[in-house]
Amino acid sequence: MTAAAISQTTPPQTAEPLLVLSGVTKEFPGVLALDGVDLDVRAGELHVLFGENGAGKSTLINVISGTFPPTSGTFRFAGEEMQGLTPSAARAVGISPVFQEFSLVPSLTVEENLFLGREKSAAGVLDASGMRRRARELIAELGFDLDPKARVDRLDRAHQQMAEIAKALLGNVRLLILDEPTASLTERETGRLFELIAKLKSDGVGIIYVSHRMREIRALADRVTVLRDGRHIKTLDAATVTDGELVELMTGRKIDVLFPAITHKPAETAIAVENLSTADGLVKGVDFFARAGEITGIAGLVGCGKSELVRAIYGIAPIASGTVTLRGEPLHRLDPRTSLRSGIAYFPANRGVEGLALSRPIRENVSMAALDLDRYQRRGIIRRAAERALIGPIMETLKLRPPNIERPVGNLSGGNRQKVMLGRAMARDLDIFLFDEPSVGIDVGAKVEVYEFIKRLVEQGAAVVVVSSELPEVLALSNRLYVMHHGRIAALLEGPAKTEQNVLSSFFEEEAREKAA
Amino acid sequence: MSSATTLSTRSGHASSQEMLHLVLRIGLLPILMAIVIIGTSLLSPYFLGWMNVVNILRMASFLAIIACGQALVIIAGGFDLSVGAVVALASVVTAKAMAAASAAIGGPEIVAIAIGIAAGLGSGIAVGLFNGLCVSMLKVSGFVVTLGTMSAAAGIGLLLTNGIPVYGMPNSFVQAIGRSQFLGFPLAIYIALAVILAMVFVQRRTLFGRYVYAIGGNQEAAVVSGVSIRPHLVGTYVVSGGLAALVGILLTALVGSGQASLGGDAMMLQSIAAAVIGGVSLRGGIGRVEVVAVAALFLTILGNALNLLHIDSRIQPIFLGLIMVLAVALDEFSRRRTARV
Amino acid sequence: MSDANLTATGKAPGLEGKAGGERPSARASGLSFGNTWLRKLALPIALVALLGGFALADDRILTSYNLLNIAQQASYLALFAMAQMVVILTRGFDLSLGPTVSMVSVGAALAMMGMGGGEANGLVVVAAAILAGFALAVACGLFNGVVVALLGVSPLVATLGSMNIAIGVATTISDGRPVQGVPATFSQTFYTGSILGLPIAIVIAIVVGGALAFVLSRTVFGRSLYIIGTNPQAAAVAGIPVKRLLVLAYILCSALAALGALMMTARTGSGEPNLGGTLSLQSIAAAVVGGTSLAGGRGGVATAVLGALFITILSNGMNLTRIDGYVQMIVLGAIVILGVVLDRLRLDTR
Repeated sequence: MTAAAISQTTPPQTAEPLLVLSGVTKEFPGVLALDGVDLDVRAGELHVLFGENGAGKSTLINVISGTFPPTSGTFRFAGEEMQGLTPSAARAVGISPVFQEFSLVPSLTVEENLFLGREKSAAGVLDASGMRRRARELIAELGFDLDPKARVDRLDRAHQQMAEIAKALLGNVRLLILDEPTASLTERETGRLFELIAKLKSDGVGIIYVSHRMREIRALADRVTVLRDGRHIKTLDAATVTDGELVELMTGRKIDVLFPAITHKPAETAIAVENLSTADGLVKGVDFFARAGEITGIAGLVGCGKSELVRAIYGIAPIASGTVTLRGEPLHRLDPRTSLRSGIAYFPANRGVEGLALSRPIRENVSMAALDLDRYQRRGIIRRAAERALIGPIMETLKLRPPNIERPVGNLSGGNRQKVMLGRAMARDLDIFLFDEPSVGIDVGAKVEVYEFIKRLVEQGAAVVVVSSELPEVLALSNRLYVMHHGRIAALLEGPAKTEQNVLSSFFEEEAREKAA
Repeated sequence: MSSATTLSTRSGHASSQEMLHLVLRIGLLPILMAIVIIGTSLLSPYFLGWMNVVNILRMASFLAIIACGQALVIIAGGFDLSVGAVVALASVVTAKAMAAASAAIGGPEIVAIAIGIAAGLGSGIAVGLFNGLCVSMLKVSGFVVTLGTMSAAAGIGLLLTNGIPVYGMPNSFVQAIGRSQFLGFPLAIYIALAVILAMVFVQRRTLFGRYVYAIGGNQEAAVVSGVSIRPHLVGTYVVSGGLAALVGILLTALVGSGQASLGGDAMMLQSIAAAVIGGVSLRGGIGRVEVVAVAALFLTILGNALNLLHIDSRIQPIFLGLIMVLAVALDEFSRRRTARV
Repeated sequence: MSDANLTATGKAPGLEGKAGGERPSARASGLSFGNTWLRKLALPIALVALLGGFALADDRILTSYNLLNIAQQASYLALFAMAQMVVILTRGFDLSLGPTVSMVSVGAALAMMGMGGGEANGLVVVAAAILAGFALAVACGLFNGVVVALLGVSPLVATLGSMNIAIGVATTISDGRPVQGVPATFSQTFYTGSILGLPIAIVIAIVVGGALAFVLSRTVFGRSLYIIGTNPQAAAVAGIPVKRLLVLAYILCSALAALGALMMTARTGSGEPNLGGTLSLQSIAAAVVGGTSLAGGRGGVATAVLGALFITILSNGMNLTRIDGYVQMIVLGAIVILGVVLDRLRLDTR
């Protein structure tokens, strides 16, 4: 990489680290997202932010990159006090974030996105050829296989991730922020990214790296800062800390058994798909089945089509071709209502967007998927007393705290929101459960409860499918594990073959197969 | 809906739909235009006559200018329902100001004309500014804000005139701007071409145009990339208001008086129709003004053809409504067809 | 919308699952409790203030005759605002409402003429009017609903399109002229009649309002409309037949508009091709000013009726104090903008 792509200024020779946050607090209406956090990042250092979903990592990197100001606390960068920082001001001083929610405009090209917010221009007129030249140079330097003229919405997720990284590295970078950058990258692409990171470090760039993948932390980190509940828990030297120590600091308690021991008793096939492809092209010719009495896992990178597979089965992702068979009977109609009536439940990954009506009370959210049953209504008129009498006990058994079912769901924590979703599944009789990223956005305590819930379902003879990007989760829960890559089933792992190593290598094999084809 | 059909027959079904859709998508506008032009010229000898062609081009110019502004607002993710009322307001304000100035100054007419035009453009820009500020500062939907300013601007226009046409503008204004011709074409056509070219340049080659696309395409991404949203949003409404006012002035010069009945709902609807038929996505971020201008031409030709074919003018809104819905439905259809990322 | 954004970017709910997280949110709900009361009382207070203000300016305002007049005037707008509110609940709106009113008006009048007008049996004539009016309205609502729900076109464009179509139909079938000769039975049924001393328009509005309130709060259909408006994707995932219900909502909207149109036709005594005029705008204004949220999922019969009363009192007062009709247009525009600004503020402080 040439000097132009990265910092041209040598790191300051003062004793002060590149970035110093002290006592940073961020309050949103009703939520204290960061509570007096201290953090320092040195030039040439890779500093990992470690914590659960909701620990405040996203808020912290948003503060550092100027998306919103902290409520209180001081923020110094390169020896200067940062006040009233905006995203463009942050970029101008060399703070470059790579967000997980991409900051790309889908209808623009890669090149237009690279320069978004800092176009080369004179008197408001764009210098198109200058930008094209620079974009080509940068992409060549990074070694990415990326067409600067391609529209971003026509790229797959891995290429969008590359575009996002390239965008961050355009210009004068002194502090690079990477938020789970490998979530949608394959082994090879990840390797390329790691080389890049090493180069940047040797050039004196400070890096904040958000990840909870132990392997990456081991491979890259100089220091690790653990956040929990918006507070700074501890900053540790990566060379000496153990995995167990990190997890304990992250969760704030010793978790002996995060994953319950589940007895799988595989019975007849509950649901099977043959040669299934979705209309959006994210699932290509998949064969898959799930049996009653066991958990079938689906693992894969973000964007590999694993969510779309279960969404297609449930009837919310349109199908292009293939068949779905339910308890031996082919299904001719795939839509959520029919699925629910035939006993299939789906728990979306994004509960805020697809699961819950936030301003409506818990009661309505729980009964929402069962209002067609006579228990809840008679000739279209809701039996309100019956509804209350049915929903109350359900939420009681799920340990909703406080047990008031008339509160709007929007006021609940992530764990309680997930309980509302689980309650919905108990509001009618179901026996096939499709979980899409069941533990995203909830704390350890709630995770344990969700796993216990899943365990109960399976041991009562239900068929459960768990889709997850958290490899330890699917490995521990599932009896049979499908691995998906680029829309296809890369492997089916059972028994002793079900290891992290085999999952990762099956990506590689599938990759090689695609190359050959 | 799509899952209602059986799964096995779907792939064959899809490809034929794709064909149909491809033809319609690429060729909807040119095909429709060709059908209308050829059909009408066969049925009515008058259609391709010089007078009629000039007339079509003149009316299309007015619509195209307004539709360019409307398109810009929609690309940024907004809506401007006030353009029709702004045409009326600008007409009235221009005529009043010009008449007052020429009565007061009495000197060279050019001064009064300049004052009148400045006042007319100013009124449109003011409405645009108000719209833009409401949308960007108060974060309320552009649709409702402009619904409100539409009513208010129309009310002001009527209040200023009591519904009676305003006369007393210098004669040279009407002669020079309304009735003058250059190489056989009225001035309005050249002004429209200039506006379209300028807007094409703005969209493709300027920061403002690029940011309008970015804001409409993904506002959040634009924010974190350091694009300041407010001035650009306000800018789109100001351009839209200014262009609507320009049309108001041109129409005033053409009819020779300031009238609160110019423009109106019909013009507003047609501008949205032109933008939508011209491929501007109501989801924002997509659309090109040159195509919108062609769509404006198409709508004008269609209206003219229906008139020449003695189709009841009362039925004509039905065509407009159906074409608009069809265009957006096709857009939506193609969006669902293309792979999601 | 704002909810979804917050969750998607993971900013505000960063503390999901935190044990102490319940505390601040409890405080927030206490805050919104105060706001709810403020919100509920703000408009009635404004109404009283408005009446009081006009009463000071003109002593004819507070006469029982004028108050009854206001109530009668407001019943029409209240019906249209309720119609509009039903689709606004689902994040839509209906710009074709006004032209639908015109179309129903001339359609019903023509049907009555066709049945022999004043000469024929009164009941048959009224039945023909009702049948024709509702058939036209249901057709329009069906069109809107199908285009919005099945074709995925935004409600704005869909109803802008049907608005044009309805205008075209209304002026074409009437030749652009009022359709005269509405029989007395019809006027009796929808205008001059009274029940328990109350003008029939008020009675109809109260009955329809009560029925609609029941439907919205107590039926699966009503509940589903709120859920669809609050989060359409979640509604679909929960197996609620979103598309079908959206179509029904648009049909219900048009049907309510048709009822209002019949009442207005009875009042004017002829089928008017321009009867709808600015009703689309006014009904949206009334619903929004009353507190129906354009973001969907918030509002009800009360918000629509309050908004309609507010606008009616305002225009009644302005008429009596001889404020220019053109100024009234400006005031209406200002109120629409004010209404959405208030809506925005309410959403922000929630």
